[in-house]
Amino acid sequence: MNKTTEHSAPTEAGLQGPRYWRSLDERVDSPEFKEWLHREFPQGAAEAGGVNRRHFLKIMGASFALAGFGAAGCRRPEKYILPYAQQPENTVPGIPVYYSTSFPDGMDSIPLVVETHQNRPTHIEGNPKYEPYGGGINAIVSASVLNLYDPDRMTASTRATGASRRQRRVRKEEVYDAISEIRDEYRRTDGQGLAVLAAPSSSPTRRRLVERLREDFPRMIWTEYDPLAQDAAERAATEAFGEPTRPLHRLERAKRILSLDADFLSPAEPGSNALSRAFAKARRVRNRDEAADMSRLYQVEGPFTITGSMADHRLRLSTSAVPALAALIAAELLEQLGEEAGFARSLRAEATGLEVDAEWVRECVRDLREHRGESVVLAGAHLPDSVHRLVVLINEKLGANGHTVKYVSVPRQTAASYREVAEAAREGRVEKLIVLGGNPAYNAPADLPWSDIAERVPAIVRHGYYFDETGLDASLNIAATHYLESWGDGRAYDGTYLPVQPMILPLFEGISELEVLARLAGVRRTDPYDLVLETFGGIRGGEGERPDRAFARVLSEGFAADTAFAESGGAVSRSRLMGLLGNAAFAAPALSRDSLAVRLTGDPKVGDGYYANNGWLQELPDPVTKSCWDNAILISPALARELGFDTKSGKFLIGGIAANRAQFRGGRESAPVAELEVDGVTLSGPVHIQPGLPDWEVVLPLGYGRRRTGRVGSGVGFDAYPLHRADSGLSLAGASISLTRRSHFIANTQNHWSMEGRAIIREGNVSMHIEDPAWAQKIGMESHSPPIYGMDKDRPLSELSLTQPRGGSAYETPAFGEPKPNLRVWQSEEARADFIPDQQWGMSIDLNACTGCNACVIACQSENSIPIVGKNEVLRGREMSWIRLDRYYSTGSNEENQVSLPADPQASLMPVACLHCEMAPCEQVCPVNATVHDTQGLNVMAYNRCVGTRYCANNCPYKVRRFNFFDYNKRATDEFYKGPLGRDQYKTEGGVLASMQRNPDVSVRMRGVMEKCTFCVQRIQQARMAQRVKARDSNDVHVPDGTFKVACQSACPTEAIIFGDISDPDSAVSRAKDNDRDYALLGYLNTRPRTTYLARLRNPNPRMPDYASMPLSYKEYKARQPKPLNGTRPESS
Amino acid sequence: MANHFPKTANTLPAKLLIILGVLTVTVVAGVTYYFTPKYTRVGYMPTQPVAYNHYLHAEQLGIDCRYCHTYVDQSGHANVPDAATCMNCHSYVKSDSPQLEPVRVSYETGEPVEWVRIHAMPDYVFFNHAVHVNRGVSCVDCHGNVNEMEVVWHDKPMSMAWCLDCHRNPEEYIRPLEHVYDLNWTPENAEAHAEWAREHVVSWNVNPPQSCSGCHR
Repeated sequence: MNKTTEHSAPTEAGLQGPRYWRSLDERVDSPEFKEWLHREFPQGAAEAGGVNRRHFLKIMGASFALAGFGAAGCRRPEKYILPYAQQPENTVPGIPVYYSTSFPDGMDSIPLVVETHQNRPTHIEGNPKYEPYGGGINAIVSASVLNLYDPDRMTASTRATGASRRQRRVRKEEVYDAISEIRDEYRRTDGQGLAVLAAPSSSPTRRRLVERLREDFPRMIWTEYDPLAQDAAERAATEAFGEPTRPLHRLERAKRILSLDADFLSPAEPGSNALSRAFAKARRVRNRDEAADMSRLYQVEGPFTITGSMADHRLRLSTSAVPALAALIAAELLEQLGEEAGFARSLRAEATGLEVDAEWVRECVRDLREHRGESVVLAGAHLPDSVHRLVVLINEKLGANGHTVKYVSVPRQTAASYREVAEAAREGRVEKLIVLGGNPAYNAPADLPWSDIAERVPAIVRHGYYFDETGLDASLNIAATHYLESWGDGRAYDGTYLPVQPMILPLFEGISELEVLARLAGVRRTDPYDLVLETFGGIRGGEGERPDRAFARVLSEGFAADTAFAESGGAVSRSRLMGLLGNAAFAAPALSRDSLAVRLTGDPKVGDGYYANNGWLQELPDPVTKSCWDNAILISPALARELGFDTKSGKFLIGGIAANRAQFRGGRESAPVAELEVDGVTLSGPVHIQPGLPDWEVVLPLGYGRRRTGRVGSGVGFDAYPLHRADSGLSLAGASISLTRRSHFIANTQNHWSMEGRAIIREGNVSMHIEDPAWAQKIGMESHSPPIYGMDKDRPLSELSLTQPRGGSAYETPAFGEPKPNLRVWQSEEARADFIPDQQWGMSIDLNACTGCNACVIACQSENSIPIVGKNEVLRGREMSWIRLDRYYSTGSNEENQVSLPADPQASLMPVACLHCEMAPCEQVCPVNATVHDTQGLNVMAYNRCVGTRYCANNCPYKVRRFNFFDYNKRATDEFYKGPLGRDQYKTEGGVLASMQRNPDVSVRMRGVMEKCTFCVQRIQQARMAQRVKARDSNDVHVPDGTFKVACQSACPTEAIIFGDISDPDSAVSRAKDNDRDYALLGYLNTRPRTTYLARLRNPNPRMPDYASMPLSYKEYKARQPKPLNGTRPESS
Repeated sequence: MANHFPKTANTLPAKLLIILGVLTVTVVAGVTYYFTPKYTRVGYMPTQPVAYNHYLHAEQLGIDCRYCHTYVDQSGHANVPDAATCMNCHSYVKSDSPQLEPVRVSYETGEPVEWVRIHAMPDYVFFNHAVHVNRGVSCVDCHGNVNEMEVVWHDKPMSMAWCLDCHRNPEEYIRPLEHVYDLNWTPENAEAHAEWAREHVVSWNVNPPQSCSGCHR
């Protein structure tokens, strides 16, 4: 309680006598003065946030007292240097070592180069020497390094004991004993009663061990299961060829591509890295001729994918109707070719229930046919086998075989399907089930439920990386090693042999899968290295070189050259194919508001759910919906209207949902929860309206709603696996949806979907480009404002970057090409003649190649130690990732965009990080000079100077600056608001483990500090210094082009990002920027960004019914241009 | 009874206290600022677990810096030698000296010797040894005459202003590459050397960064 003291008012007498006045105001006793006197403190001071002065002083007193204690903390802490006791060879403290290895990815493997600091893997990059992938990786590969340091991984094997099935830790030796017991037990029965359920793998060593197991246990059931199986195309080709065959699509040779619901630019399709790279190769356009030669992509799809956003013609069609469309395409092709008239007729008759423009099909097929040998058709891995068989037929008829499709012979697939083990278990034929990887308890098909197996099989042994849903049912849980911890091998999708090389000893008591199998198979030497070496000897044997020497050479390359699968010598057996296709059904189900199609999709971030506990991936916004930390029931705008959403009143809301039902604020999308019912199974989840979906299809991403996982993945999203059935794959029909009264907040990082007719992403048609390659220069505000560089506008970029001409700017900028005036030696005339200026860094991003796959975002997070902030913070718009992928929809009509959500838009994606403006608006407002320019043209952040005013972020027109509202590195995501009372993550075991991933070459940013893309300044500086070390007493200080790559550039699977020295006219980046399509984002602001973009080209077919003579975004732009007074629009300039 | 003291006297004790407080703070701050060394780190001379004597090894025995600090010319870090390096000689010389016990223990057990760090850069500073020693900046410029120190102390302030002194006037510090590790080297002719340095700043293109990104990332 506050004590108040009453002072008696001064008496009249007391006021007698001389009066002194301090100011004229007081003398005249003005009302302002009285007010001032009354307030005592300036405005606002007395009202300071509910804390009164007395309270304030109390706290201050306490603080001072504490400061007294704390003074001891001001002492210089004693730090220690801990050298090695015996320094290992080739380890130089401070210099990272790079190891080649590969990422096992089901049917595929991705060759990698991993950066390690004192044997601690910190950052994953692709192996650029392997040509098909060219160093490209995807977001999941990049993020997999975080799994290594996941504090929630299984740290020791456990055994369930007692009736309560409590898991008790067991030592490695006990696990070995248990495995040999199993071996001994089932040797007697030839494996009767033993079953193995494994995740697919491309490892030749595993294949070899499985063969050995089969010899010892001939009656063992070996099955492989992947809820998102990718082997459908291989199965169809195998049937058609009569021998194990895999199709490889060579998109770099394809001029016309038809993709049937295949999201081949994301990891959903096998070998997607090679496909992305090849696709981008055929879309790289430097001049008019290359534009005329650009490929064209027809995309038919149910969900809206990044592949759909890259398409030239996108047909939204429910996945359930895609088989019918495939039949129609095949029929149309056969008719146009005049072949197999009877079969074509029957296909046409089969393809019922399809509502699709016949002209679309006709013209698409005509275009494919006219590019015989240069066209290709792909089908999504989730589609039924009949579609894949048709695709084999279509590709043959298109003359694609041997040109755009290469069939290779692969080893025979011997594993049985999940159905087999489920049925065996149901019949009581399985006594012991060994689950290797995977997580069937979570993602087994709903029509063959895991619970049936778990109840009927007496003993389940589980080998897994996490203790998850399946682990709960297992009597023995064997902790697995991470692929960066143990030896292994694999094959790329084209068959190239890839070693998996560990770079750190197992952090915990993990056992590798190969070792478990080897022990089960009774192999004498169970060390994974020996196992792999033996396999390698078999592949590369008999060449007169010791296998370990040969293997060492392979390790230094990262892959074994010339080990790819050989091209199949066989041919498509027409009779067999026709026999298989003869009685296939292709009918499309009738869809309506009450009978919806459901499409389950593998999530581009958490995959089948395995990566649910990876914070980077959870916080990564989905490239199309832009939401993170959640999945949602994606519905079309038409369905939304049916459900009662008022899409008219929701101006610019992402959902377009009526104001009172859902609001979009900051990063918060308030979404109503809906219930979806299919065949008696009901799911509930938040609804997100996704433009571009087929009207009567809902899309459900899988992999969320994990019931048992670590602290990151718990409670994230809802589980859609109850709808996943072995018989219907990922597509169902007959669903109904209804809204509940509940709602849910979805963290969504982009709330505005329209470019509003501004030239942000510049898109043109190939025809426009051929007519006038400089079209991209002629749109945007700067095209009709005075030139930015004024009289210097025609000077080459290399000169502009060094001289910084003032142009139309109000400010003069010091030229980077001259020595600093405070360097005395350099001021003389002859010295200046010899001066070699710093290199000027710049970046070019080709929007024609960028697919929006998110690989760069995670690579950046890994390289720059960017923290995750958790859903609660993303809801407030505080995500930290330095690269943001913007996704815009365009419909061609600005008026319509104001009032409704687009049903069938074009989508365009654009990565934006700090553009390193030469005239940076952020620098002009920083009160403490924390963000300034350096002499290499970088806009740098001195974290230690930053006081956190955030003026820079407010003044940044690109909104690329990120502020540390909390100690994101030091506190757990649920303890940010506890401040210093929260646990210090650096002192917890999990925090220490996670911090092992951090890059030692960048600062860890603390609370109150602004950060942003630095152009990987640490890599630039290291390259510069390495060059100077090399130069020694010479002036050879110029870092050669291509010496280093920035993190995003190196991860990019399509080489859309090029970085380098723009003051060197011969550098790759200068050559990339020397392109008519080059433009600066918001260039009219005179920010002169160092990162510029290459405008996007679309290549639509003029004969198609949905042909648009200009991209829809360009149409919106044109519509926004003011009309001249005489009433006619100016020509394209 | 009339008031002996005016009303203002009520607040006098408080005022006195405040004045006293302000005065104390001023005096303490003043003494701290004006009467203590500008860089308290200079002269820091902790006791090391092993009383390693640089004067004996580097000066009297003439061992090159790089015998122990092996990677100074390759890496950003100038590494502190591992126990095995010490044991190269000390398996034979003074092989049972009690002073060397921690080194022998480290060599046998693999546990590192806990050397106390003297030159500690803040976390946000990324100093690189290799680029300095390869471009004519000697050890002595930053570490002082370590070869004459029986116990190593912090010799130079290592403040940012001190770094910039050299980055702004490289000609005053660079020396021929063959003398970088010769801590006793002084030019025979100071004027000739100054001329040499001015020439070589230009011919080596020595243009040390003065931008933040030079050292802070």
